[in-house]
Amino acid sequence: MDMAFIIETVVKIVVILLVFSALAGFGTYFERKVLAFMQRRLGPMHVGPYGLLQIAADGIKLFTKEDIIPQNVVKPIFQIAPVITAATAFMAAAAIPFMPSFTIGDYTVHPIVADINIGILYILGVMGAGLYGPLLGGLASANKWSLISTARAAAIFISYEVITGLSILAPLMMVGSLSLIDFNTYQAGGIGNWIVWSQPVAFILFVIAGFAETGRTPFHLVANDHEIIDGFGTEYSGMRWGLFFIGEYANMFFISFVTAILFLGGYGDGSLLGALGLLLKVSFLFFFFLWTRAAWPDVRPDQLMWLCWKVLMPIAVINIVITGIVMMV
Amino acid sequence: MFETIAFYLFAFLTVAMFSITVFTRQALYALTALAAGMIFISAFYFLLGADFLGAVQIIVYTGAVMALYAFGMMFFDTTRYVNEHGRSPLIVFLLSGMAALLVVVIFAAPIASENIVANYPVQEGVGNSQAVGMVLFTKYLVPFEVAAVMLLVAMIAGIVLAGKKMDRSLTLMEEEEIELAKQSQEKAV
Amino acid sequence: MHTHDTHEQHGHGESELGNRYISEHYYYVDIAPYPTTPWGKFSRALKRTLRGELFVGLWVVLREMFKFDIHTVQYPKEKLLVGPRYRAVHAMQRLFESGTERCIGCGLCEKICISNCIRMETRLDEKSRKEVSEYTINLGRCIFCGYCAEVCPELAIVHGPRYENVSEQRAHYIDYAGMLTPIDMAISGEQKEFDGFGAVTPHEDARVKQTPLAY
Repeated sequence: MDMAFIIETVVKIVVILLVFSALAGFGTYFERKVLAFMQRRLGPMHVGPYGLLQIAADGIKLFTKEDIIPQNVVKPIFQIAPVITAATAFMAAAAIPFMPSFTIGDYTVHPIVADINIGILYILGVMGAGLYGPLLGGLASANKWSLISTARAAAIFISYEVITGLSILAPLMMVGSLSLIDFNTYQAGGIGNWIVWSQPVAFILFVIAGFAETGRTPFHLVANDHEIIDGFGTEYSGMRWGLFFIGEYANMFFISFVTAILFLGGYGDGSLLGALGLLLKVSFLFFFFLWTRAAWPDVRPDQLMWLCWKVLMPIAVINIVITGIVMMV
Repeated sequence: MFETIAFYLFAFLTVAMFSITVFTRQALYALTALAAGMIFISAFYFLLGADFLGAVQIIVYTGAVMALYAFGMMFFDTTRYVNEHGRSPLIVFLLSGMAALLVVVIFAAPIASENIVANYPVQEGVGNSQAVGMVLFTKYLVPFEVAAVMLLVAMIAGIVLAGKKMDRSLTLMEEEEIELAKQSQEKAV
Repeated sequence: MHTHDTHEQHGHGESELGNRYISEHYYYVDIAPYPTTPWGKFSRALKRTLRGELFVGLWVVLREMFKFDIHTVQYPKEKLLVGPRYRAVHAMQRLFESGTERCIGCGLCEKICISNCIRMETRLDEKSRKEVSEYTINLGRCIFCGYCAEVCPELAIVHGPRYENVSEQRAHYIDYAGMLTPIDMAISGEQKEFDGFGAVTPHEDARVKQTPLAY
């Protein structure tokens, strides 16, 4: 293995870690602002101009707060759970092409850490493993709210993971590859070639499953504030709780990227315009996450499971069958 | 060099995790170590270039161990130690004998493995998932379909076993109806 | 129009209930019966899916966002007006024109205070008149019952409109100097007189009678 490759990979990893940790912080700011505007409020205004430095204030607070380990918790598991959430979120980013490749001088940079040919499977698997964070945190907490949230996490995970897998199966059959870069080149022709037009059902199913995966509002059940305090996060404080938070927001960004690349044409032909287009699509999808939080109520866990198993799974299977028939004929 | 380092690192981690699974008295430690070990195993697939199997390993076993967690949650207080009773000397004897046999086999394996040739070697230019698909839908088509039918049977059996009284809703029943149902159940017991 | 229908439906039901206290504009929320058959459940799910109510919700919040009709009061910078009869933190009044303190140190407020938070010390001054030397109200204990203001024979202690009684130090809860109207305000007539029991009414001049010296 040559040295340049290793250095390039390390630089990419560091850049992704830094950019998305910071973006997770900005994500909280955007969320508070967008929710506030939709509810006729102003949101954070006091720290810095228009409350922009609120992120810094929150960061200082999270970093300097005491790390409380309550009595009766299973200490090692309790300590490692938030790390799993944050780490798996960033691990999933390894197979996401964030931008088209560009050249600095005469060196071509591919903004993807590892272009493995099963990219999408890897991303889904690692994001799925991310649910061990809430699961372990809740089980180790010795708290009833946490335990309820764990039970929900386990039940919900098994439900939505089926939908995620089945919904992307139809586009996978069309593209014939699991690599996200192949997905991108398949749709490089322009808006008309986007998979969302040929697979609208799969797109809707994937977005629904993405909401369940990130635990955002219509399916905000694992840490549902008004029912079970903060669920798995009830006993956490300081930076350990902050890691859960960073994991959640980084996951939102990565799911937005994956959705944009899978269904909405990704970065197109790889020009600067295409890269800007990808960023716009991701921003809109992220905004959509916040938008639904302002507009929609939460469903109950049994309703989510009902939806996944009795409604979405049959639709996904029918979608696959129809796609197969159309491709064969 | 990196691959050797990675192999020994993950080998150590996998063995350590599964040892914890076996030796610990704490259900939560055991399950977590099991999940971690299962995910570390996928590293070997990645090292051997079998990316597809590696990713499938992660996806399948996160879900599978998640179900185990659900059971663990129902049967144990996962924040307490579980004390095991009844250590049978016979089982200890048998298990240690089998472990010794296994060690011998493991050390003898390299001698035997020199004669083993892969039936379906990795071909250049054919992707991982394509290769798996080709083998699965040609040579192993019948076992694959039989396994699928078996899973379907298991699913239907599970639904039938679990869904006996699913059409009855306590929230919609009148007080008297619930009382009647209770009494008839007591009679049956 | 949906709500109107339900109102009509239940219009005669109100008299059956015999509840005269239900306002005319109240209506019963139309709760459809829970579907029991599989087809009923399915059609309800289909209706809910295709009626597009979720998009109505999305549109409403998006509209509010672009209207930008913000109702936030940025408190330390902006303050809401309090009602004219709002009574909160105590104030000590002075006499008009002369600016002498109204408090005569009778100690009635200290006596009547049910939460025991008023404390006063008095002494005789050089003209042998009673003078208040110490007067404190512990606002941390005060329950704002208003007895002190009611009992005061001189209308000296009143409840003022100041409502910000937050402080970092207990010593700020509350000393005599802080409560007393500043002397320049009293002389220039800016001191606010409060309506209520015993207060000087606007038409006091017309109602003043001559003192009957004939006695």
